[in-house]
Amino acid sequence: MGLALLLVVLLGALLGSRLNAADPRTEADPVGSGTLLLAEKGVADRLPAVRLGTDMDVEVSGQIARVRVTQAFRNTSDKWMEATYLYPLPEDGAVDSLKMVVGQRVIVGRIKRREEAREIYEEAKASGRKAGLTEQYRANMFRNSVANIGPGETVLVSIEYQAPVRRLSGEYALRLPLVVGPRYVPPHSVQDARSADDARAVTAPLADPALGRDLNPVSITVRLAPGFKPANIISPYHQIAVEAGGPRRRTVRLADGDVPADRDFELRWRSATADPTVELFRQERDGKQYVMATISPPAPDTMPPPAPREMIFVIDNSGSMGGESMRQAKRSLLHALDTLRPVDRFNIVRFDDSMTVLFEEPVAASSEQIAVARRFTESLEASGGTEMLPALKAALDDRAAGSASGLRQVIFLTDGAISNEREMLATLAAQAGRSRVFMVGIGSAPNNYLMTRMAEVGRGTYVNIGSPDEVTAKMAALLNRLKAPVARNLKVTLSGDGVELTPAVLPDLYAGEPLVLLGRANRLSGTLMVSGTIGDKAWTDTVDLSDAIESEAVARLWAKRRIDDIEVGRLMSAISHEDADTAIAELGLAFSIVTSQTSLVAVDETPTRPLDQPLTEEELPLLLPAGWDFDALFGGETARAAVAASEERANRAARANDPATALDLPQTATGFAGLVGKGLLLMLIGLAGIWLTRRRMPGAMA
Amino acid sequence: MSLRLANMGSRAFGRGFLRLIAIGACLIGTATMAQGVWIPAKAVLAQILLDRAFEQSQALGRPVKPWSWADTAPIARLDVPRLGISEVVLAGGSGQAMAFGPSLLSAGAGVGENGTSIIAAHRDTHFTFLRDLRPGDLIELKGITGDTLRYRMTGSQIVRWNDFAFDSHPDRATLLLVSCYPFDATQRGPLRFVGMAEKMD
Repeated sequence: MGLALLLVVLLGALLGSRLNAADPRTEADPVGSGTLLLAEKGVADRLPAVRLGTDMDVEVSGQIARVRVTQAFRNTSDKWMEATYLYPLPEDGAVDSLKMVVGQRVIVGRIKRREEAREIYEEAKASGRKAGLTEQYRANMFRNSVANIGPGETVLVSIEYQAPVRRLSGEYALRLPLVVGPRYVPPHSVQDARSADDARAVTAPLADPALGRDLNPVSITVRLAPGFKPANIISPYHQIAVEAGGPRRRTVRLADGDVPADRDFELRWRSATADPTVELFRQERDGKQYVMATISPPAPDTMPPPAPREMIFVIDNSGSMGGESMRQAKRSLLHALDTLRPVDRFNIVRFDDSMTVLFEEPVAASSEQIAVARRFTESLEASGGTEMLPALKAALDDRAAGSASGLRQVIFLTDGAISNEREMLATLAAQAGRSRVFMVGIGSAPNNYLMTRMAEVGRGTYVNIGSPDEVTAKMAALLNRLKAPVARNLKVTLSGDGVELTPAVLPDLYAGEPLVLLGRANRLSGTLMVSGTIGDKAWTDTVDLSDAIESEAVARLWAKRRIDDIEVGRLMSAISHEDADTAIAELGLAFSIVTSQTSLVAVDETPTRPLDQPLTEEELPLLLPAGWDFDALFGGETARAAVAASEERANRAARANDPATALDLPQTATGFAGLVGKGLLLMLIGLAGIWLTRRRMPGAMA
Repeated sequence: MSLRLANMGSRAFGRGFLRLIAIGACLIGTATMAQGVWIPAKAVLAQILLDRAFEQSQALGRPVKPWSWADTAPIARLDVPRLGISEVVLAGGSGQAMAFGPSLLSAGAGVGENGTSIIAAHRDTHFTFLRDLRPGDLIELKGITGDTLRYRMTGSQIVRWNDFAFDSHPDRATLLLVSCYPFDATQRGPLRFVGMAEKMD
């Protein structure tokens, strides 16, 4: 018997050792090693009991999109369930409606203060009644909770929001984020119970890639009525089918029906006729008048030779960038390096949870320095955490601040997968100086909230690169925009009384970018005038407000934009935390929109769950965004060692100017002898086992 | 009595189960061995096919694929007369090519070009002979265009895989033979053996 036991143990050890080695999660303790806290809620390696399907129905009229997101929670278990689901929305979207459908009944959600909504929900949950709750955790991150889903039952939760359509160089873009990328939580940002709760709130369990990509399928329908004949309708990341419904209407569907929720959906279109230069929408609500205006400054007639610039590139090589994202970031940076002229000065900062600044201070972009920078860039590999703050500080460290007056442009290449957005923005607001910050969002599901806010506070722009084919085109467009003269010193005058305009601080406008203004007044009439300087010429544009088109969305978009202004004020310490919270709560209640201080809650009147039956809570796992490398996130040591080595190599190459070429030597061992040995051992153990069991058999028979 | 019978029954069942495991272990062991044996067998077999392809390549003066679905082609023959070694070298340097024969790394110079040519192969198949190589040994490289390049072994060094640089413009054309080190290790390691040879006049 002892021998038999030994046999089993040996077998187990032999097979087990291989399984363990193949399992990246067992290699590094994500929390203990201090590299990644994003795995806090772990990896789900089993299908959840509650399955989710999402349908998005989008109505684009003019420059505003109204989106209905219906999430079907289907309970496949025989228990009563509570399901919660973390999902993204556009950072400028305002959620104003929650409906819960149970069988034939529709329960309409009401807007409440956040704590009150939570209490109502918890009470309904405890008393066995069905309840739905929509809470905001970041400007672009929401969580729906549904309580008391019966065995085998399906509950539909439908939320609606509106968002402005982005416009850039005559192209319109609607972006529907479908998945929240796992966020890195910097250890220093978790100091008390409150910040720990916050960190937990913005993370969700991650579905093991072995579960396949069929989890959380999404279907999308976009009804496009832009007010002109649309042309060049493209969806860069999904296959679509476009159907014409009249000369100015199109219906866009996903060609394959359902897609996995693992990348953002984007739809772009242009006008088949001349580009409209002004778009104007208005709404009257509760005795106030609201207006939304989009104004494009004209392109200058002559391009002056670009002035010498100082460009600082910041590239994120943390674990979340692993895989496709890292390749895109590197290609983008290499592309940008190629466009530098010898009169420009530049530097590169790379960061994960450590940081390297390539040159001690910005250097002239000579061919030798560019070659050093190229080698440095090519050797980068993704691993580790995302400590973006030190990198931001390093990039903003402007040694020539007092003496130089030229352009200083900081270009960030990152997916923004962090949870300390507020800290980043506060630092940027305080230390930007003469630097302008441009964000290049990398990957299939970047943190658009961080990107847009950073670009706004840093008075730059934001582009997203979502697939490898876009690198050249989008980087070229961005770099061109950075070269061209900027429309600055913008001023807006709106006739009427009690006018409140947002954004309060008007940005610089780069070529092709429109100014999007939202305003509120007791009475609007007459004209809206924008003035500024483009290059060194004065520019004015006047719009007649009576041309505005009525739209139901303007008031809520104004409120959402106003909240962003309050948040920026909070970062710059222009308003205290308490005052900011109060102001946001008031706006949320007045406009019935979900904010950081207000939530929507829907409660069924009749209890359904017998109170002797327990309720099981479940947080639905999310897919890893497409192109993310699971191993780079959860592996660790090897990837980190590789970065250290490549850095050292780059440094060495930078120091010595010899013709030596560094080369990584390939792995050259088949290890067949080991395989044969292992096989032989297994066979011998097996034979011993057979012999052992055989010798006793005749005895038992007799 | 019945208790004893039941006990015997469960013991018989336990034995049967163990026997099943033992048979399973035998099968898995055999499969693993077959997998292991297939690697050197493939390496030897491929060289026979490659030999033919190399001769065709030489005759035609252009690379000929050894088999229709191959993603690599022979580009040279490597000879070490003292050790009786003659192997066909493949283009590329991908792990896949290395299963069939030594590969010329694309980072280095091509065959016959002035510079440093680098050839890598598995330490436990084609490049086992590196351990027996001595300074002064003659190494011949025959390109498909027909000319034979003669190199003299000058020495060797052991380096980490990621801590290696070569001279891209040497005074004399150089040949580097690269493999894993130590030769009889059972685990994959970070060390590499680099044999160096200089071109003779």
